Amino acid sequence: MTPARASYLAKAFTFGVETAPPLVFKDLDLRDRPDHPSHRFNLTIEPGEVMAVVGDEDSGVGDLGSYALGLRRPISGQAVVFGAAIVDLPYYDLLVFRRRLGYLQVGDGLLQNLTLRDNVALPLRFASDHRLAQVEGRVTQLMDDLHLRAVAGLRPAQANEEDRRRTAVARAIALDPDLVVLEAPFDGLTGRAAVDLLEHASRREDGSRRTICLTAQELVPSVRRLLTRVVKVVDGEAVDEAP
Amino acid sequence: MTAVVAAIGQSGARRLSVLGGLARFALRALAAAGRLSRTGRWVTLRVLINQIRFTALQAVGLVTLLAAILSFLVIAQTSRQLGAVAPNFFGTIMVVAVIRELGPLLTALIVVSRSGTAIAAEMATNRVLGEVTALEAMGIDPYIYLVLPRMLGAIVSVACLMVLFDGVALVSGYIGANVGSGGMSIGHYSDIVLSTLSAKDVWLTVAKGITFGAAVALFCSYHGLAVKAGPTEIPQAVTRGVVGTIVAIFIMSAAFVAIAA
Repeated sequence: MTPARASYLAKAFTFGVETAPPLVFKDLDLRDRPDHPSHRFNLTIEPGEVMAVVGDEDSGVGDLGSYALGLRRPISGQAVVFGAAIVDLPYYDLLVFRRRLGYLQVGDGLLQNLTLRDNVALPLRFASDHRLAQVEGRVTQLMDDLHLRAVAGLRPAQANEEDRRRTAVARAIALDPDLVVLEAPFDGLTGRAAVDLLEHASRREDGSRRTICLTAQELVPSVRRLLTRVVKVVDGEAVDEAP
Repeated sequence: MTAVVAAIGQSGARRLSVLGGLARFALRALAAAGRLSRTGRWVTLRVLINQIRFTALQAVGLVTLLAAILSFLVIAQTSRQLGAVAPNFFGTIMVVAVIRELGPLLTALIVVSRSGTAIAAEMATNRVLGEVTALEAMGIDPYIYLVLPRMLGAIVSVACLMVLFDGVALVSGYIGANVGSGGMSIGHYSDIVLSTLSAKDVWLTVAKGITFGAAVALFCSYHGLAVKAGPTEIPQAVTRGVVGTIVAIFIMSAAFVAIAA
């Protein structure tokens, strides 16, 4: 890596990490309506918050995850993650930066040719410097915590929806990230399973609370009880709701 | 008239743009090797071994069969037709036609038809199912996880299969020479063939193994990962990958003849 790239990366990592909020959406145009500049989405997620952003299918809430991870560039506005405008980072620096984040995409995004266990191990094997024994230990712990041991050897297509979602959450938290973004994580799950998943996702390895931003169309009451804040997207703007 | 010129120009520009994209793709895949983590190296090695098992080991039977039949036919016919005029000419045919040209070509075509199609379809499926996005979201370079092991696997496999092809062709050529000439000792056959073989044939085989193998993996991966719209694009991507590889292999064969002349 060239010194310029390295310093850019260092800047992306260190800039505002201590003081900047984990995730800020600034002036996002969620509904592609450039003629309505007042309807912009602004939201700041503070450290340790477990926040849900809810909205209808056409509200644009489904795009927030990909903006937060820098997978897509917003039409207008930006997502700022730990002080860095994530989508502006150079590609390889962006890949390294994303290792501080966990992401569960719509569906599950599991690799179909790998077993559930290998899916969980994937980020530890390719996006960390852990030794193989450490990787295996961490994967075993995650599989146990998320009740996946019995189905560890199955491929995603052989597993049921709840186990696939548990695997995707285990993979998202495998690197013990500071911030986890979950897109429609509870669709098709029972309230009990949803609560269990959210509890695991929001707890870090050292027992402290992890910052969570989840998006959904609707939330069951049992999940709402675990949230610190709920925001609804109304006409492209963020409106606070009671959790 | 201008419309015709414009159409030709557009087609040329499109092809040039694909070539540029392929070159960038190849450089990114090579650069990815330097960014592998310690554990990633070990896992990539495992994927590489699996790739070689599928691409090389499972193709051994087909390559052996085709090498044996092709060499037998060519040498038997040469011995029969030209035996009276030039009894040792089959040695030149064996080395120049079978080992130097047809062997690498046929081996690469076998690998394209078996593994190239699989690579293109797998990559396209990875893209359509959002698995490439998932890799990038985890901070994993898709070139490291998807392209690099397949490229190395294809290079090693094509090179190994070429050596196998040559070995089988030499043995089968002896049978062909016997049938065509009505009897020949193994010593005489070896003398004729070995006197025509040179060090150039060895490095040409190695060079063709590397370039043809890389072409199979790169073309098929490139077209597979270029899928955007959905599953209906997968067969088209496979076709583009395979056709592109075949054209590239024939062009490279011609280039090797020009360079090695």
